[in-house]
Amino acid sequence: MTEHDPRAHGAHVEIRNITKRYGAVVAVEAVSLAIQGGEFFSLLGPSGCGKTTTLRVIGGFEVIDDGDVYIDGQAMGKTPPNRRATNMVFQRLALFPHYSVYDNVAFGLRMQRLPDREIRQRVGEALDLVQLTGLDRRRITEISGGQQQRVALARALVNRPRVLLLDEPLSALDLKLRLQMQEELKRLQRELGTTFIYVTHDQGEALAMSDRVGVMNGGRLLQVGPPLEIYERPANRFVANFIGDANLVDGVVESLEQDAIVLRADGARVRAQRQGWERPGQAATVCVRPERVHLDPGRAGDGVLRGRIEDRAFSGYVVKYRLAAGPLRVQAAVPYTRGTPLYEVGDEVGAWWDARQAVTVTAE
Amino acid sequence: MRLTGRTTLWLLAPALVLMAVLYVIPLGVYLINGFHEFRDGRILSVWTLRTYAAYFTDPFSYRVIGTSLRLSLVVTLLAIVIGYPVAYALHTRVKGAAAKTAIALLLFSPLLVSVVVRTYGWLILLAGQGLVNTTLRALGVISEPISLLFNMRGVVISLTHILLPFAIFPIYSVMGRLDPSLKEAARDLGAGWRDTFLHVTLPLTMPGVVAGALICFTLALSAFVTPQLLGGGRVQVLPLAVYNSTVEINWPGGAVAGLSLLIISMAAVRALNALLRRLPTA
Repeated sequence: MTEHDPRAHGAHVEIRNITKRYGAVVAVEAVSLAIQGGEFFSLLGPSGCGKTTTLRVIGGFEVIDDGDVYIDGQAMGKTPPNRRATNMVFQRLALFPHYSVYDNVAFGLRMQRLPDREIRQRVGEALDLVQLTGLDRRRITEISGGQQQRVALARALVNRPRVLLLDEPLSALDLKLRLQMQEELKRLQRELGTTFIYVTHDQGEALAMSDRVGVMNGGRLLQVGPPLEIYERPANRFVANFIGDANLVDGVVESLEQDAIVLRADGARVRAQRQGWERPGQAATVCVRPERVHLDPGRAGDGVLRGRIEDRAFSGYVVKYRLAAGPLRVQAAVPYTRGTPLYEVGDEVGAWWDARQAVTVTAE
Repeated sequence: MRLTGRTTLWLLAPALVLMAVLYVIPLGVYLINGFHEFRDGRILSVWTLRTYAAYFTDPFSYRVIGTSLRLSLVVTLLAIVIGYPVAYALHTRVKGAAAKTAIALLLFSPLLVSVVVRTYGWLILLAGQGLVNTTLRALGVISEPISLLFNMRGVVISLTHILLPFAIFPIYSVMGRLDPSLKEAARDLGAGWRDTFLHVTLPLTMPGVVAGALICFTLALSAFVTPQLLGGGRVQVLPLAVYNSTVEINWPGGAVAGLSLLIISMAAVRALNALLRRLPTA
């Protein structure tokens, strides 16, 4: 794992129109996706959304009903996992309990029938890479969860895969260790230039680590883009809700302005940045992030939702308010420093936002 | 809930009483006979080690022990070698709980038939003009009938048949507890079917193999009806020796032979249990 051009190492992965059914249940439906060589890509979605199945299809663990996977342009078809340029880090790690740390990591190299000397050297390097130097003789049952996690990583990386598949590898770790491992995974990915395809249900994890994120639900890929873009312009109601916190106001497009739309919702009128597909009379949802909602007791009129504070929660650098404005519930996260005025439950305030800080999403 | 010592004792009491009354006490009473002597058709109530001395200096005793060990080892080995692929197929190829249950029932069905009936069944099948010989001749495998009755072969065939489920189910149950992603991990790391089996599945299912072997070996060692009926007096094993001595009222001789059977069984259980503890669990 020494000098090599990172750009050249990670393979380009393309999924074309894959469909996987389990009996009558469609796990993955017509998903197409192109992942660049050396990219850190995350598949994000709630459990049962098809993200793990998609990953397993790339690894060759599932027989698909339709479509194909291309690794560096080569159709994989029914190529078994042992003949693909991919390696997988399994959710439950799947370390071999009858082997030592060393033997676990050496497994893939032994399968390649490499000479012992090379195996020793590469296992040593892999263990250094995941900071497990000196633990090679330990049994799998004698090391901690975090260390097992690193062994699983080393066992996959030692083979120098062109694509590393990771199936919620950090889900068993506690928060602190998880954050630490997230950083290490990012570092490893940068250093090795391997294409990482990472499956997670944790949107924070996906946003923090990935170059791009694909959001899945119900077997379909809903949106693909860099974390910032997905946060700023969620494609639909589901994505808006799943990524970060969101206020979602359902209504009907009343009129179009230069860069904004005006939405009529339950007696209130709100504005959001125009996406292009909106037409007057159409049903739409306005999405605005809580930290972009301003509260002002003196403000009223067009674009302002008047209401009473229903709940207040202090969480360090922000104060979170919930406002009852007629049938609507509006969340606002107000930055807090010493001296910031606080509203009390029951106070009447106006909530408003800059139209450029909100977007319309389809109501799906 | 943690049980107190007293509660545990009460829960164990029925089993302990049963074991004491029906097993430990009769066994003790019988084994005491070993320290008496059988001469001129009657038991002499003297305290002596002569029966032991006679038993352990008689070459026939060792032949019987040897036959017993050979029979049990061969049967155990065959049951495991035949049973392992069956368990593997049941685990990997048979889909659906209903199909698995049906096949499991089928495999266990020989146990629902009385040992005597089953053994007579084998007598018919293994006879010179029986189904096995006629089939083998029809297929051209043999030209003359082979003798499968009243020798070791018939006993081995029949015992292996009946002990097969005891080999299959411990192995099958360990396979079921194996994390399926272990096999996937091996495949992912470049292992083909053969390497996956040799380096992952087989070592991790060894606890099932050892447990199955333990059951088969002890059951084969204590088998009585099958060697009696299919061996035709030519397969002299320890249980038969004990039985023959006992019907001749030679209780002292039977007791000593019985004790050697007990010691061999216990040694096998100990050895295989020690092996079981050393094996990794998945």
